[in-house]
Amino acid sequence: MAAETAMSPSARRLPGDVNMWVFVLGDMVFFGAYFVIFMYYRTRQQDMFLLSQRHLSLASGVVNTLFLLASSWFVARAVQAVRDDMHERALRLVAAGGGFGVAFVALKIHEWYALAHHGFKLSTNDFFMFYFALTAIHVFHVLLGMFVLGFVGRELRRADLRRAWVVEAGATYWHMVDLIWVVLFAILYVMR
Amino acid sequence: MKPTAQWISLGLAAFFGAVMLVAFLIFPGFFPPMSPNWSAQHVADFYAHHATLIRTSMVIFNLCGLMLVPFFMVIVYQMKRMATPTQVLAYCYLSAAVSGFTLFAIADLMWLIAAFRPMRDPQLVMLLNDFAWIIFTAPVGAIVAQNICLAIAVRLDARPVPVFPKWVAPFSLLIAAAMVPACCGAIVHNGPLAWNGLVSFWLRIIAYGVYFAVMFVVLMKAIRREAAETA
Amino acid sequence: MSVAAPPIAASEDMPEADKRDLWFCWWVLPFFYSFFGLIFVLLTHVMPPPSPHKTDEQITAFFHAHGTTIQIGFAILMVVIGGSGILNGFVAYEMKRMSVTPVFAYTYIATLAVGAIPGCLMCAFSFLVASFRPDRDPHIVAMLYDVALLTFVGSLGCFAAQYLTLGIAILLDKNEIFPKWFAYVSFWNVITELLAAPVFVFKKGPFSWNGAISFWEGTVIFVIYLNCFILLLRKAVQDQRAGEVVQD
Repeated sequence: MAAETAMSPSARRLPGDVNMWVFVLGDMVFFGAYFVIFMYYRTRQQDMFLLSQRHLSLASGVVNTLFLLASSWFVARAVQAVRDDMHERALRLVAAGGGFGVAFVALKIHEWYALAHHGFKLSTNDFFMFYFALTAIHVFHVLLGMFVLGFVGRELRRADLRRAWVVEAGATYWHMVDLIWVVLFAILYVMR
Repeated sequence: MKPTAQWISLGLAAFFGAVMLVAFLIFPGFFPPMSPNWSAQHVADFYAHHATLIRTSMVIFNLCGLMLVPFFMVIVYQMKRMATPTQVLAYCYLSAAVSGFTLFAIADLMWLIAAFRPMRDPQLVMLLNDFAWIIFTAPVGAIVAQNICLAIAVRLDARPVPVFPKWVAPFSLLIAAAMVPACCGAIVHNGPLAWNGLVSFWLRIIAYGVYFAVMFVVLMKAIRREAAETA
Repeated sequence: MSVAAPPIAASEDMPEADKRDLWFCWWVLPFFYSFFGLIFVLLTHVMPPPSPHKTDEQITAFFHAHGTTIQIGFAILMVVIGGSGILNGFVAYEMKRMSVTPVFAYTYIATLAVGAIPGCLMCAFSFLVASFRPDRDPHIVAMLYDVALLTFVGSLGCFAAQYLTLGIAILLDKNEIFPKWFAYVSFWNVITELLAAPVFVFKKGPFSWNGAISFWEGTVIFVIYLNCFILLLRKAVQDQRAGEVVQD
């Protein structure tokens, strides 16, 4: 472990690590493209989209949004705690953030299950095609985020690591996952 | 390191190579090779009449084909012994060899599936037969890439006594060149380039056989020299 | 544990390393992908893919119209595809220079040696067989069309595994063979492979095999990735110094 490299000086300017920002910004561009494509199809069959939207549970969408916002808040507090060298506290905050992430996935799976139970599936119509595909790819990002938070937790537990930029990079990713969900929630559940 | 594993690999290759030669000789579709111009009914009848021999020879191909893998891995190992700038070409050779063997295994299965129910719709028997012949004949890229890598490695080998003699480089390029035209077997119905033609079938198979035999002797000498060097 | 290569020593007065075999491998890259583009885009019309929303008769007409160029293109591919083996070995070698045990380097060879068959050659064989006798029963020709395009666009796992392990290897590496941001570019491709999964369901729309998301967005990201990779591999070869110990 002696070969532990110091971070490059350029990585200090942004919170976290500049390489993670490449991923986050790129990913947001791709999601942006999905949203544009969604809007294109939506404007062409607006009535059908609105009709299908009624079958989604707005309540579970709201609860899930709260879950992820809470989760993001805990992770943001964890970053602050690391900057103040309170690593034990940061670890507990990251664990809380991860817990809300798990709750999000559980509720999402329940929602899919309920929809499937009522006969809605990927091939039902274009609305549900987008709904299932986009929420699935988002859940994949959440699951990836569980690994990222786990990695951050490992970083915090080990006294020889505890690199602030790793925690910040993990938080950057997690906030992006949250942000994407908020947009998804808006266009799938709320937009009239 | 004792070269026992390498000798065993050559022994396996010699034994199973001989068995495969027998299978090659008894496969009814090779003497003469089945024509791409046969009608669907003709193809189906052929499988119906020769089902036993087709199954026997192709099961042998299926079992023994991959027994030649250790032989090619001895070549990989010997390439890694060469005093080349890096060992990258040995990995390239390994990767190409894997794809080549997979294709051989698939072609062989297509023949077996066609012979499994020769009474099915002749159109379907012909479809399987086309797949078998095209996959067997056309994808020569793997062996061509292997031989180009081998040639470059031999050329760059800076040992005072090279692992393989220098003439192996032009030799393997020549073999590769002899196989390249077989890619046309997937297109042409008549003439030397068709899958039953002089170039796509006979030249390619003979080139492969010559390559195998010559590399066998080259490897024997290389292994002996390695044993003498390390003793 | 101690097999990992030591970090590269950055001394300037070392003699220029002999890299002739590495440069050979690198030059295969532009040639291979030029042929790849020529074959798949211009000659065989696999990229961008023709629509999945076609009748058997329309599909047969497709093979009648494009049979000759399909045959020329894929016959060339039968030879050129060997280049993929050379590229696998080349990338695996660069991965072995990393400070990571070579498990991911071997994974790279294995996943792509497998992936070339369902992900590329199966498509070529199906189109070749279909063009070989376009007068076959149209049902059979239509099946070959599906086999070709679903295997080509829908071979997800081999490539996702390769992108994932390449990215992880880059993140763990301390020798800086590739910059860290490229790991994330590699991860983007994992996500596009996931979004290609619905091609097995849809016959039109953004998630069909020629759709805006399943095909076009994935392809754009792949092209970005590929161009970065070609340049970064060139830099990796340039930066290698004489006497560097590469793990066996």
